[in-house]
Amino acid sequence: MKALTANRLIDGEVVFWLDGRWVERFADAQLFADDDAAGPAAVETGLAQSTVIVEPYLIDVVPAPGGWAPVSYRERLRALGPTNEPTHGKQAEGGAGIEAILAATGAARSTGRVDLIRRK
Amino acid sequence: MPTLIKLADGRYGAAEDVFTTVADEDAIPEGPVILSLTRFQAEGDALLSAGRPVGVRILPDEAIEDLAYDLPRLAVVALAFPKYADGRAYSSAALLRQRLGYAGEVRAVGDVLREQASNMVRCGFDAFVPADGATADDWAAAAGRYRHVYQRAVDARAPVFEERS
Amino acid sequence: MYRYDAIDKEFLADRAAEFRGQVARRLSGEITEDQFKPLRLMNGLYLQLHAYMLRIAIPYGSLDSRQMRRMAHIARVYDKGYGHFTTRQNLQLHWIKLGQVPDILDLLAEVDLHAIQTSGNCIRNVTADPYAGATAEEIDDPRVWSEVIRQWSTVHPEFSYLPRKFKFAVTAAAKDRTAARVHDIGLVLRRARDGSLGFEVIVGGGQGRTPYVGPTIREHLPVDSLLSYLQAILRVYNRHGRRDNKYKARIKILVASLGAAEFARQVEEEWGRIDSPQADLPDTELARIRGAFTPLAFEALPARSDAFESAKAASPSLARFARNNVKPHKKSGYGIVEISLKAHGATPGDASADQMDLVADLAERYSLDDIRVTHEQNLVLPHVKLDDLPAVHAALAEAGLATPNIGLISDIIACPGLDYCALANARAIPIAQAIAQRFEDADRAELIGELKIKISGCINACGHHHVGNIGILGVDKKGEEFYQLSLGGSGQEDASLAQILGPGMSAERVPDAIETLVDTYLSVRQGEERFLDTVRRVGMAPFKEAVYADAH
Repeated sequence: MKALTANRLIDGEVVFWLDGRWVERFADAQLFADDDAAGPAAVETGLAQSTVIVEPYLIDVVPAPGGWAPVSYRERLRALGPTNEPTHGKQAEGGAGIEAILAATGAARSTGRVDLIRRK
Repeated sequence: MPTLIKLADGRYGAAEDVFTTVADEDAIPEGPVILSLTRFQAEGDALLSAGRPVGVRILPDEAIEDLAYDLPRLAVVALAFPKYADGRAYSSAALLRQRLGYAGEVRAVGDVLREQASNMVRCGFDAFVPADGATADDWAAAAGRYRHVYQRAVDARAPVFEERS
Repeated sequence: MYRYDAIDKEFLADRAAEFRGQVARRLSGEITEDQFKPLRLMNGLYLQLHAYMLRIAIPYGSLDSRQMRRMAHIARVYDKGYGHFTTRQNLQLHWIKLGQVPDILDLLAEVDLHAIQTSGNCIRNVTADPYAGATAEEIDDPRVWSEVIRQWSTVHPEFSYLPRKFKFAVTAAAKDRTAARVHDIGLVLRRARDGSLGFEVIVGGGQGRTPYVGPTIREHLPVDSLLSYLQAILRVYNRHGRRDNKYKARIKILVASLGAAEFARQVEEEWGRIDSPQADLPDTELARIRGAFTPLAFEALPARSDAFESAKAASPSLARFARNNVKPHKKSGYGIVEISLKAHGATPGDASADQMDLVADLAERYSLDDIRVTHEQNLVLPHVKLDDLPAVHAALAEAGLATPNIGLISDIIACPGLDYCALANARAIPIAQAIAQRFEDADRAELIGELKIKISGCINACGHHHVGNIGILGVDKKGEEFYQLSLGGSGQEDASLAQILGPGMSAERVPDAIETLVDTYLSVRQGEERFLDTVRRVGMAPFKEAVYADAH
């Protein structure tokens, strides 16, 4: 599955595509099947919104305990926030969606453990 | 038709471009022309002998010194910016003015944006073909953005240390 | 300290106004992101993983209490209440909103600060010795020349679109605290036998994907020829540096491909053709700038402070702080105090807004209103009376700023890494935290002595891993963070590049591997030998064997 992400122009916030609008939580992101033409179509729509967001792109996502998580390390950090400051970024809010990303393991291109080193 | 902006006596104005920029594969038309360096080296003499105004277009990787002998006969030296971030033409312009003593038109062509206006003027450019739709007024505003400059350059602006003394 | 006059202030105001206009054009859609990106970079503004990052220039790492308080204020109001001091003596704010940047730049300009040329392919903020004006080692004040270069390089008309970024370091002391030999240009002030002041000019050092220790292309450049000579170097580079491949575009690649001798010849030839009186700074302006750095009003004090000595005798923690964080000052009765931003388990280089305010207060009260930033991501109060050290130490300790580990194993350089940076492949901060926590025992750290660990989250080497006594490079191995260790690097006057120890390892293994390296060092160390000198003497083999002994 895939999700569409970008950074919001005005403040740089990481955002995700949901049915024609941009939302801040990964857990709310619309998921596209890998062969769903709606994914690339959403990218095109995003590219035309150059005064709203910067650099839209699709990311791979995988099932995680209790939800979904991005495959790559980098995208997990974007969906969570920095690991050295657990109260900064999206992770501060907590909730099931955040827990799912934190619990994600076994992805194809990653061990999936954001928590390789114990957090403060 | 892209705008040509010329700087003369401290003023910026739109000007008619009487020169035709000739691609290497095209036949040379009537009237004033701007040629590539290789084309100029092959065919320039004949055109100049016939009394034609001739300019040369210099790419960033071409040495401006190669034109030294011909400079007194050239009406225009057009320095190309294939990308705005390619800064070699600034050195070429400064050398044209300060070392090679060229007094004719030095024209900026290619990816020419108003953000570069001040630097170009300071390095000795006096003609500009903006790629961003800037008008002569836009260009003048951009070139004069800073009330002070920190270095001596090709232009006559007094640097901060002269203002201070 | 150099104070901006009306001209400098008007320049900053013009620059801030220009960027305000550019932001407005971007938000309205008049210019695209592709067109805007180089403009924001020239003003130190990056788009990172979670937000915009603003890199504020701290020219030659020197600031006063008013400037520090203003940065604290901005961190508090416009960010999350902290800032990150970098390996180039700058301050980065990691949670900035584009729409607020014009207001931030105005606030900075009010106290003579800015973010000009902290990014982009231009001449960047100059690094200088953080002990300038305070150490007895120096033969001239490097801040004078750093300020000369700052002004000359600000919006330089010919050198604003170089093949790649360009970094200067200036020092005048035998002990190099600037990493001059791994900069694009390192300038080391020296006196010739006849007493004349000149620069040793080092060109083409650097780190990144192709590290070099820079060669010296001129042993003694008369100081009054500095700007014409720099113009010659920059012009040769601007014209002939590679532009086809960004990884081969730094001046180090040009110098290496031509050879230092041929590069020097081209520079000298170009220099010979430059109209020097036109290019060099007039004596009057040089005198004006020098006047801004006249020696401060130091008191005549005895070399020994009874108050300090008795406080040390009564407080082991003060004594330890004095041993490790207080360095000799050129005036008797004073000390240079280093403030470690490397508390065990903290993020290297981070300071909270409250901590920044406290340092400002201490500088104003105890250090002649002078603060420095080191490229090793610490702060310095350069002029503290020994009599005042107990009070300064107590205030620092209360704020969590008295970690007595300068130059020791837990004084680790780390870039922001994948926790923040869009370029990174792996995290750097958690590795630094884990190592520092492993070596929390202060007695053991002092026993180990000087040991510089430097960690980068990618090959761009902002964490200076190539010149770490132990360098750690984070790499991405099939989506997983892996770390490559190297040994024997130094960024100081005895500069050398670290050699790779062996195959990379997972993050969990790094602290154990460091422990093994340290144990090996202690077992073969001779006398008080530094870790670096032991590695140089015995070579890599014993370290490699120890770390990879159980890898099979």
